[in-house]
Amino acid sequence: MVPQFITNPEGRLRIALEAGASAEYVVLQDAAAPEGETAYEISLAEGASLKMVFLSLGGRLLRNRLRVMLEGRHAECDLAGICLADDQQEMDYEILLTHEVPQCKSNQLFKNIVGGHAVTRFNGLIKVVPDAQQTEAYQANHNLLASETAKAYTQPQLEIYADDVKCSHGATIGRLNPDELFYLRSRGIPQAEARLLQQMAFCNEVLDKITSTEIREKMQERVENRLRQLGNFC
Amino acid sequence: MNTLLKIENLHASVGEKEILRGINLEIKPGEVHAIMGPNGSGKSTLSAVLAGRETFTVTEGSVTYDGRDLLALSPEERSWAGLFLGFQYPVEIPGVSNVNFMKAAVNEQRKQRGLEPLSAAQFLKLMREKMAYVEMDSSFSGRGVNVGFSGGEKKRNEIFQMAMLEPRLAILDETDSGLDVDALRIVAGGVNKLKRPDNAFIVITHYQRLLDYIVPDVIHVLYKGRIIKTAGKELALEIEQKGYDWLIQDSE
Repeated sequence: MVPQFITNPEGRLRIALEAGASAEYVVLQDAAAPEGETAYEISLAEGASLKMVFLSLGGRLLRNRLRVMLEGRHAECDLAGICLADDQQEMDYEILLTHEVPQCKSNQLFKNIVGGHAVTRFNGLIKVVPDAQQTEAYQANHNLLASETAKAYTQPQLEIYADDVKCSHGATIGRLNPDELFYLRSRGIPQAEARLLQQMAFCNEVLDKITSTEIREKMQERVENRLRQLGNFC
Repeated sequence: MNTLLKIENLHASVGEKEILRGINLEIKPGEVHAIMGPNGSGKSTLSAVLAGRETFTVTEGSVTYDGRDLLALSPEERSWAGLFLGFQYPVEIPGVSNVNFMKAAVNEQRKQRGLEPLSAAQFLKLMREKMAYVEMDSSFSGRGVNVGFSGGEKKRNEIFQMAMLEPRLAILDETDSGLDVDALRIVAGGVNKLKRPDNAFIVITHYQRLLDYIVPDVIHVLYKGRIIKTAGKELALEIEQKGYDWLIQDSE
């Protein structure tokens, strides 16, 4: 299927992939809507494969709720996202992903850069039901704080009722590495550019998931422009 | 000839602890100075202070580089002025490729000198040419900066970066540590190719070994934050045989 490109979906979005279907969505949330809450209801049948990459760049309050049900064996779901929050922005992700049947795979990678007085919240729960053996499920949320007043809340959770699974989750909250910054500056790269290189490196892990080169490059540009715009992102 | 670097009575501390306690050093273009000394004598601190690392506070003294107050410049301004530090422990930067890193660095230097950025083709040509200096494989250019590099590869990458930036004063902080003989020969060969009458090197090392390949004009021995001995290249051999104790006793 051709990758779909959605700008600011409002309200409710239902994605149901039938057996063997695959889809990739890139969701761009920019300043077009000041406040937005979107609920995604997602189900994957046997062998279906879904990839979604979220880019939350603008808007005062963004709230994304995802309910993902892996309903057929060998279904695969890859979720990734970037939040660039600054000023008074608030960006929330609430994800409930359920492995209902055996042998499915899921992966979540959400990365946030939070500056100004902004707040991000990541609340993710992976649920593996008793029958869902041989599940592979991973979840990570990494946050870079760019000001003294920014806040990042993270709550990665696993509820596993099966015993033959590979699951992991993790979260970090930190700042740009000062040793990297000094190394870059010592080669003549100005501080602001060096920070941008570090921030883009942080974001690229998510952006690299976008399969279409054309869309990926467009999105890299959007992210870079947004980072440049926000001089106080440091 | 003019002095390129003049350090006068330099004192520097980290927190409450004074590490440099009155360094005096003068370097002219075309010279190679070696700085030796036991562990903890302040060698790496001196190089970090010269490169502008903010962890250290200069409490006294001055550093004049090419007629300018070096200590008033930011790390990037020092680089634009032609100063280069080869790190003892080069940092790994995942997600930033060597090629993008060097492109940003080289084009910034050009911008500062009022030159146009290099085209993609010119840049790749320059990169290939300089990688050959240190026998670096072209596959390194696409990889993250120093990510997964062996100790020797990291040091070669430092010399490669130096070749790209063509500094006027290069400070090599224990570039020889952790290198086997082949890597040492390659690294030293890279340095020797870059030696010119108008640039200078400070080579910080523990061992005489490196100085067989990079022959210094002057050797300084640093101990407890002060230079306790300055002599010609034959001093390295004497240190190799007798250690530092006799110098330390003399100074105390």
